Amino acid sequence: MKVDIVTPEGALFSGEVDSIVVPGVNGSFEMLNNHAPIIAVLQKGDVRLKGQGILIDNELKDKFEIKQGEVILPINSGTVEMKNNNVIILAE
Amino acid sequence: MANLKDIRTRIQSVGSTMQITNAMKMVSAAKLKKAQDAIEKMRPYAEKLTELLAGLSANLDAELGGDYAAQREVEKVLLVPITSNRGLCGALNTNIIKQTIRLVENDYQNKEVEILTIGKKAHDQLSKKYKVVANHSNIFDDLTYENVAQVAQKIMDEFVEKKYDKVVLIYNSFKNAATQIVKTEQFLPIKPEASGSNVVLDYLYEPSQAEIVLELIPKSLKTQFYKAIRDAWASEHGARMTSMHKATDNAKEMKADLTLQYNKARQAVITGEILEIVSGAEALKG
Repeated sequence: MKVDIVTPEGALFSGEVDSIVVPGVNGSFEMLNNHAPIIAVLQKGDVRLKGQGILIDNELKDKFEIKQGEVILPINSGTVEMKNNNVIILAE
Repeated sequence: MANLKDIRTRIQSVGSTMQITNAMKMVSAAKLKKAQDAIEKMRPYAEKLTELLAGLSANLDAELGGDYAAQREVEKVLLVPITSNRGLCGALNTNIIKQTIRLVENDYQNKEVEILTIGKKAHDQLSKKYKVVANHSNIFDDLTYENVAQVAQKIMDEFVEKKYDKVVLIYNSFKNAATQIVKTEQFLPIKPEASGSNVVLDYLYEPSQAEIVLELIPKSLKTQFYKAIRDAWASEHGARMTSMHKATDNAKEMKADLTLQYNKARQAVITGEILEIVSGAEALKG
């Protein structure tokens, strides 16, 4: 599935991943391919991207953390929308 | 005819002014490019947010918007003029200040008006005459979403606390380097939008739909505020670039005029000298 992470100051990530974990206000949850359409509010926490060959812009590398095959992005708050295997995260 | 030395000094000083204005033009052009890029980068976020919000509120019947949409009898108004910190950018700041004064004197004549300035120029001009409650000029020193959001949040809190009944932004909207348009935009309360879109997709919502809307509205307000400031920032550099370009052109013209004058004066001196020599020689012959 395709994930886009955008902030008011620009796009942070755009690419294919296998799964994504987001910090929902009612607890973290994971989304896999063909997840039902969802809109959720996110709280302060980590967005975790899992997959093969996730590429991150060199300029933005210091915002991400890479640990055991996961790419982690801490956010303050945000919103996630998933439909038709397209995930868009509006992060702050 | 002015003497040669005077003209030479003036040519030199016009020349160095020209160098300065030309350098300022280059600097502004570079900054303008950056400012435009930032607006461009913000667009995907702003568009998605608007789309989400429109889709969500279209599916809800109830009056939404929470505290930020409260329409009250307008008694206390907060005006937020956004100008630059520095001058030499044409009529840019004057337009904003004029519009602010016009609003205070005409539109909100019988209301209690307070002003929150962003940009030193507005603060310098308006604080002499009107009630300026706060000044956030330093926002331009480090223009990040986070900093802007803090100011926006404060204004939003004050609106909710009923300190103000209406908040209006006055800023220059960037059209191109030569054209900036003064915009007067109602920030709060939120104007109820005509819900037209009917994209009914079967979404799961977490938490409820109404709660998500309440969560998104402050974000969209902050984005609106951020956009206004970004716009003003780009306008400033655009206007400065244009006015410095004009100044350089004027200096060039002036230098050409002065050079012509200088050459004429020099020629007159030479002609005078030749005349003296020739008539001296004639006198010796005679």
